[in-house]
Amino acid sequence: MQTILVCEDSFEGILTGIYEAYERKLSHDDVIIETGGEENFRLFSEYIEIKADEEKAVKVSRSLRRMLGDEVVYDLHNALASEDTERGNAVYHTVVEALNGKGRNVMSYLQNDSVRKVFELSRNVWVEIHHMYGFLRFEELEGGILYAAIAPKNNIISRLMPHFSDRFPLENFVIYDEKRDIYAIHPAKGQWFLVREQDMDDRTEVRVSEGEGRMQELFKSFVRTIAIESRTNEKLQLNMLPLRFRPYMTEFR
Amino acid sequence: MQYLRSQEKTLMEKLEILTDAAKYDVACTSSGVDRKGSGNGMGNAIKAGICHSFSADGRCISLLKILFTNECIYDCKYCINRVSNDVPRAAFTPDEICELTIGFYRRNYIEGLFLSSGILVSPTYTMELIYQAIYKLRTFYRFEGYIHVKAIPGADPKIIEQLGLLVDRMSINLELPTAEGLKKLAPNKHRKNILTPMRQIQNGIKENKNDLVLYRNAPKFVAAGQSTQMIIGATGETDYQIMNVSEQLYKKFDLKRVFYSAFVHVNDDKELPAIPGGPPLLREHRLYQADWLLRFYGFEAGELLSEDKPNFNVHFDPKCDWALRHLEYFPVEMNRAPYEMILRVPGIGVKSAKRIVNARRNGNLTFEHLKKIGVVLKRALYFITCNGRMMYRTKIEEDYISRQLLGLHEKLPFSQDGMTFTQISLFDDVRFNPKPDIVDGNLALYGQF
Repeated sequence: MQTILVCEDSFEGILTGIYEAYERKLSHDDVIIETGGEENFRLFSEYIEIKADEEKAVKVSRSLRRMLGDEVVYDLHNALASEDTERGNAVYHTVVEALNGKGRNVMSYLQNDSVRKVFELSRNVWVEIHHMYGFLRFEELEGGILYAAIAPKNNIISRLMPHFSDRFPLENFVIYDEKRDIYAIHPAKGQWFLVREQDMDDRTEVRVSEGEGRMQELFKSFVRTIAIESRTNEKLQLNMLPLRFRPYMTEFR
Repeated sequence: MQYLRSQEKTLMEKLEILTDAAKYDVACTSSGVDRKGSGNGMGNAIKAGICHSFSADGRCISLLKILFTNECIYDCKYCINRVSNDVPRAAFTPDEICELTIGFYRRNYIEGLFLSSGILVSPTYTMELIYQAIYKLRTFYRFEGYIHVKAIPGADPKIIEQLGLLVDRMSINLELPTAEGLKKLAPNKHRKNILTPMRQIQNGIKENKNDLVLYRNAPKFVAAGQSTQMIIGATGETDYQIMNVSEQLYKKFDLKRVFYSAFVHVNDDKELPAIPGGPPLLREHRLYQADWLLRFYGFEAGELLSEDKPNFNVHFDPKCDWALRHLEYFPVEMNRAPYEMILRVPGIGVKSAKRIVNARRNGNLTFEHLKKIGVVLKRALYFITCNGRMMYRTKIEEDYISRQLLGLHEKLPFSQDGMTFTQISLFDDVRFNPKPDIVDGNLALYGQF
């Protein structure tokens, strides 16, 4: 009989699920981790609801890092940042393979379907993170605060912040994930943190700073001028810079 | 006093003129160095490089690519900024360069600055102006992002040494592949003047590495290495000559990259070739493919081309072309062949080859597995076996495989209206313009174009 652990659709939720799966000492082949949603119910299976527990999640995260090293954990975390419905199960079974002997080399075991799934998700998320490093655009608001809006496919805002905090340590800046209503805030010289939209009290309309328009015009002019007419190739441009990013980019507005 | 005259223009006008003048420079990469921010300034650097936008020609925009000035005392025939051309001239002040770089960088428009220049008064004088701008940017504005400058041949070695300590990459344009070409089209430039500073930078990087062993905090000299570029199709060199020059540059001068720039007709001059089909983009593409083979695939220029066959095949990429002429090495067994041999299979790149070698440690690979781990078999299937079997019944025969491969249509990156495929004709494609493949896509993604 199969046991299906139904976890919360979040980072902590899935890690708690992995904790519980080990805790229950069941045969790993018979355990499936699902994340919420209206799945088709299976016959002859036991469904168990798992409540996300931060303490358990932290424990799992810490022991994975200790046993499997940063590189494997990097891929696992990337995969968890995706919104694929099967990511929980794929990460769980990849962890099982790793702890059953593949160890730190688990990510090269691509013959295994779960490992391959994690590999693909991780690569996909990595590509989007890398795209956002380049395509994200800040605007300067009154008071010198930098503001950027994004709408990534994957939940990557917390993975963007270390990069931008390292890059702009002396700036006050905010990145807003429109799709998930999450703000990431970095105070100058401080530590960044996340805020959910509902926690934000009385939002007032803010205007862009005085010099912002001029800088945007300068950049637009630069982008226009740098292209070589006799090599025009919009198809290539489209391949490299998909349309979904453009509404958020200064030079395409 | 030309310098003073041009000061009357607004920043917007100057940016337009000096971007327009800089756009033919190929390199816009921000790669080669990993550097965390210090916490007291602005900026860091990522080894893979980052593309921040793509212009209408599909090229990556990574750096603020501008000239310091487009005034020039030289008269190179292929160059839009030559002294005999009547074009609007302008020059930035060091402060304006800092303002633009910081303003753009803060908004995440760019990864850093790429500063080149026409020659004002003399090479040394111009380099001093560039130095002032970069010095101010690094010290006063505490800018820690990527900086690439062009060193100007003939400038005082001391200024090159000083500047090298402030920038991440320095490059000196080779301009044309051979000394004869240079003499013909750039009468004021000499091959020796170009190679001398190149050698100086190479030695500087080497010495700096020794210093870094002794003193961990020694300032870094040109941390991301040096590169160069040459114009393709303006003079009569063959691909074989060009590849040999590149090979020498990689081996003898430790260059990080050699860039190839399809000749764009901007001046009318009797010494310049007519190119009715537009810039030779396919040729440029083939050279980049071959360049990749030299640097990452263990090929040598002499394997790809020879005196008897001095130019690349229009229809096949250089690796495929090599494989078709060396069928004695194939088929390659995926479960046993060494990494170096897997790399030589058409259609299998560095990443796929690494994945194959890693994955086969965990058990025998089948074609199903190869597909699953993301190896594209479309072209590779004619050259490989898994457990002694080929994927389909195919013949290992040059004519047969060539015909099959021609049917696949290589994906090329260009043509006026984007990706179009032309019928294969008996004659060479006039434009000899290939499209970029996935490798180029990745290149562009990582800002290496």
